[in-house]
Amino acid sequence: MNCDELDLDPPVRAALRRAGLKGVRDVLGVPAVDLQRQTGLFPQDVQRLLSTAAAAWRTRAPVPALQLGPGCGLESGLRLSVGCPLLDELLRGGLPAGGVTELCGQSGAGKTQLALQLCLTVQYPETHGGLQSGVLYVCTEDRFPIRRLQQLISEQSRLRPDVPPEVLSCLRFSDHVYIEHTADLDSLQLCLSRRARVLLARGLVRLLVLDSVAAPLRCEFQADDWLTRNKQLLSVSCSLQALSREFRVPVVCINQVTDVFSQSDETLGPSPSSLSPALGLAWANQVTVRLMMRRLSGTVSAGGQSSAPRRLEVLFAPHLARGGRGCAVWREGVRGVAEEE
Amino acid sequence: MLGDLSWLHVGILAVSMQRPLSSLPLSSSVTVKLHGAGFQFAADLLHLSPPQLGQEAGLTQQEALQVLQIVERGGGGGGGGGGVCSSLTALELLQKEEDLRSIVTFCSQLDAALGGGIPIGKTTEICGVPGVGKTQLCLQLSVDVQVPQCFGGVEGQVVFIDTEGTFVLQRVVDIAAAAVRHCSLLAEDEEQRAAVATFTVETILSNILLIRCHDYVELLAELHLLPRLLSDRPRVRLLVIDSVAAPFRLLFDNLSQRTRLLGGISQQLAAAATGRRIAVAITNQMTTRLLPGGSSQLVPALGELWGHAPTVRLLLQWEGPRRLATLLKSPAHPEATVQYQITADGFRDADESEQPHSKRPRTDTDQSEAGAGEAGS
Repeated sequence: MNCDELDLDPPVRAALRRAGLKGVRDVLGVPAVDLQRQTGLFPQDVQRLLSTAAAAWRTRAPVPALQLGPGCGLESGLRLSVGCPLLDELLRGGLPAGGVTELCGQSGAGKTQLALQLCLTVQYPETHGGLQSGVLYVCTEDRFPIRRLQQLISEQSRLRPDVPPEVLSCLRFSDHVYIEHTADLDSLQLCLSRRARVLLARGLVRLLVLDSVAAPLRCEFQADDWLTRNKQLLSVSCSLQALSREFRVPVVCINQVTDVFSQSDETLGPSPSSLSPALGLAWANQVTVRLMMRRLSGTVSAGGQSSAPRRLEVLFAPHLARGGRGCAVWREGVRGVAEEE
Repeated sequence: MLGDLSWLHVGILAVSMQRPLSSLPLSSSVTVKLHGAGFQFAADLLHLSPPQLGQEAGLTQQEALQVLQIVERGGGGGGGGGGVCSSLTALELLQKEEDLRSIVTFCSQLDAALGGGIPIGKTTEICGVPGVGKTQLCLQLSVDVQVPQCFGGVEGQVVFIDTEGTFVLQRVVDIAAAAVRHCSLLAEDEEQRAAVATFTVETILSNILLIRCHDYVELLAELHLLPRLLSDRPRVRLLVIDSVAAPFRLLFDNLSQRTRLLGGISQQLAAAATGRRIAVAITNQMTTRLLPGGSSQLVPALGELWGHAPTVRLLLQWEGPRRLATLLKSPAHPEATVQYQITADGFRDADESEQPHSKRPRTDTDQSEAGAGEAGS
């Protein structure tokens, strides 16, 4: 927005022109003292200028929380179902449609399995917990497990007995999964700023999965490069948040874990195991919901299949209590296991 | 001597007229011109007309007019800076401050450490690692500020500036429902029962004004608009910013600009807190500081200078499975550490059984009244 569009007195306008301040953003982003020095205006004029600029910059007046809900553009309360009633119960309906959800865990814990499942649940209509759109799946580590996705698609009717078969039969799952492989940070940034934006803007995609966020950041930097790494991390996380906010879609980031060696390193809260999510505090500050998947020992079996038991834990979330639920990976997908007494 | 004479002359005028011109909110070029023409104090300009002043000091007509208007108002006015205040004695200040209530946190131990809760008229910063309960405390305060006066509450509204997207309605409804339940259990006399009838989840939600900011420019814009918002809504008693750190962490490259912008924010918050008699609660993230010798330490983000902005600083942290709240900075209360927990109902006292130092067993009724210790009195 340009300063010429503001309702200002002619001398103030002239002073702004002299100081070379064109955009409203430039005016607001400068400390008031500097603005006064640059324009040579009286403090009262500067105050009036700032409040005029601020009023023009504001996109939305304060909303009473009672008016929040679908359509208000702030907090829609929309959730993306995980595809299993037990896990949805743990997550109070599923993943929030705004904000970055992190899913961390050891390799083999089932992170990618859950992410693949989300690629399918997002395509269901809203009445069945989906967002009725596709997914952009960004792989930075491994090749996209396309065979497993095919298997999941063919087994959907077993995973979702609640969905009527006529709804299932008109969903063409594999048409709406957009896959992107990026090997380094630059191409990841490019993918987020260009391709993801286009797909989201066209409404082709309403879920963004990044598998994993840690890989490009962990391998490209040495330990003493932490400042550069922090900057890169901040810019990646900010683009993710901006996309999630702008298009009101869930963003799921898969993260690796690191071993915690010393007990004193528990500043981020008690961890259910000796593992803590990678990338440290700088990344954790940017995460809205943090989930962890753990592989437990033993086996569970049901319906002629057996699987290693797993546990999905909520480490933090603004609307969830800390807690967890047992689950297992079956042929048809990840499903919660009924808790035994 | 001339200097002596002018001093005498000033002495019989009003106190504000003794102000040096440099202390008035004038632009620097005008101040320089006035000084150059020999004007030192506000009184020197008193009997001049705008054209005279313009001619003597080489100002434009409009500048001269503005200068004289400022001098007449005693330097006050709409400006954010200067402005003369009538002086108060310490006793009057004490009485004024005692009139201001605090906002209870529903965690009686934390209330005790803070001297009744989050103080109105001051800025309180809540720092902590992600997931420790900063947002939960903010949401809890947004509900608690609305507790009716007959329950010892403040019965105000709240402006909630959310910069991280963590204001989740589902959770606010939980906390509000628990607070309503709590008050309806406590209602004894007719007045309280009547208050409970209007203290519902719907009214609580309608009294929370949500503003979402996505970057620092939007946050700065909202703060410029804050005085108007607060005068339009005089019932607002709490301003929450959750968090101040998030929008500013991207301004990584230009630290000096960040510091100065933050300085402006801390001034605006202090002005809102004292001028409008509201409590300001802001959250801050933690960051790692590397110490010489390779070790590291967690410190609140945004730098040393920002540490002076809040009057009260509260650190929430983990110690094993326990959550602790430490009062890092408070002008009125000694440093203290208390334990708390986040329950389905919100921010609460920790269970007594988990606390090593307490021997008194706690009954269920005791617990349902937790946090009402302050509210009831």
